[in-house]
Amino acid sequence: MDEFRWDFSVVFEYQANLYRGLGVTFELSIIIILASMVGGIIIGAGRYSKNRLFNWPATAYIELFRNTPVLIQIVWFYYAFPVLIGIQMEGFYAALIGIGLNMIAYSADIVRGGIQSIEKGQWEAAKAIGMNYFSVMRRVILPQALRRMIPPFTSRTVEAVKATSLASTIAVAELLYEGQVLANTVYRPFELYTAIAVLYFFATYPLVLFSYWLERRLAIDSEMRL
Amino acid sequence: MGYEWEFGLVFKYWDVLFDGFLGTLRVGIVSLILGAIGGLILALMRMSRYRLLSWPAIVLIEFFRTTPLLIQLFWIYFALPVVIGITFGAYAACIITLSVNSAAFFAEIFRAGINSMERSQWEGGKALGMSQSTLMRRIILPQAVRRMVPPFLERSFELMKGTTNVSAIAYADLLYRALELSARLYRPIEILTLVALVFFVMLTLTSMLVRFMEARLDAARL
Repeated sequence: MDEFRWDFSVVFEYQANLYRGLGVTFELSIIIILASMVGGIIIGAGRYSKNRLFNWPATAYIELFRNTPVLIQIVWFYYAFPVLIGIQMEGFYAALIGIGLNMIAYSADIVRGGIQSIEKGQWEAAKAIGMNYFSVMRRVILPQALRRMIPPFTSRTVEAVKATSLASTIAVAELLYEGQVLANTVYRPFELYTAIAVLYFFATYPLVLFSYWLERRLAIDSEMRL
Repeated sequence: MGYEWEFGLVFKYWDVLFDGFLGTLRVGIVSLILGAIGGLILALMRMSRYRLLSWPAIVLIEFFRTTPLLIQLFWIYFALPVVIGITFGAYAACIITLSVNSAAFFAEIFRAGINSMERSQWEGGKALGMSQSTLMRRIILPQAVRRMVPPFLERSFELMKGTTNVSAIAYADLLYRALELSARLYRPIEILTLVALVFFVMLTLTSMLVRFMEARLDAARL
């Protein structure tokens, strides 16, 4: 067989397509991350609550979405859900709902874990000086719990960006899909798939570096308080 | 409006879905074993004092952890063969991708487990005159492994869920078979809900079993 010759010029020739795809990837990621912050706090509070009316549905939701593959969730919202409710659903929205609900489930668990990780003594001390439940939560527990939630939440955002690539399987024109279409038309799979992998790397690695920095910082801070 | 659920038709073709489920297990279990071995090798390389060993491990680990599994799969199935001149079958490509991907995550779990051990453990062992390898084998690893078990299991679950990616390169796993069948019978709701349930039951039962075994182990230790 002929020796393979690199030709990355094809990547630059079609860079407009790749940037367009990257734009959709960012759009999906940002909406999903924002939704998972808000939804995670609501469902996480329900999961933490001792009231069964809130606790059971929240637990069921989290378990269901964490114990099934996100790709099946996307595909379900694309093929099954529209038939069930009798409307058409664009791939973009199916991906948004599928990945979004999945991310909310993980974030809710991070929120619950963060609140639970605060020692009981803190609650007791705050109550002893006459604070009610909401002030304890707002002024004592959450400020500390939030610090502990940030590192796992940051790694979750990396997972969210990665998960948006699954939208390509239902023909959403995000980065991977644009690359696939190009690879099939100009037949330069090596250059295009390599370029896409590198673009994903540059999209997520700043978040990874941020999480490393956070971990170091939080570790030093907690040591200093001793 | 009422939707009429019709599971009868789906159960008639249960053998198609069962065949897909076996495909999922074949990919998942083989990748889990290879990934664990690969992860151990990568972790040892990464912790090595020789940069010739540690740097390639760092690059591989970081790259495979921060890019989507699906692009890795496409890269190994469509792109790599162009360069090295060997074509992989879909099954081989799936195994390679999922093994290397999970090896990268496992390596970090192994490394974090060993690094989490307090310095005093090393110092205490050395004070007793133990060699580096005896110390590792008899003091550090038995304790570190205990700490690695929960994240290891979590990653194994991610791996099992990640196997659904292989349907994108037409490997006949459970999801691929399900999509095929739902296009044929036009019963997406029943079939896809059933597939989601299969994963849910499989993963929930496994995690319950693991928690039970962990509790037994802890009880035996006391």
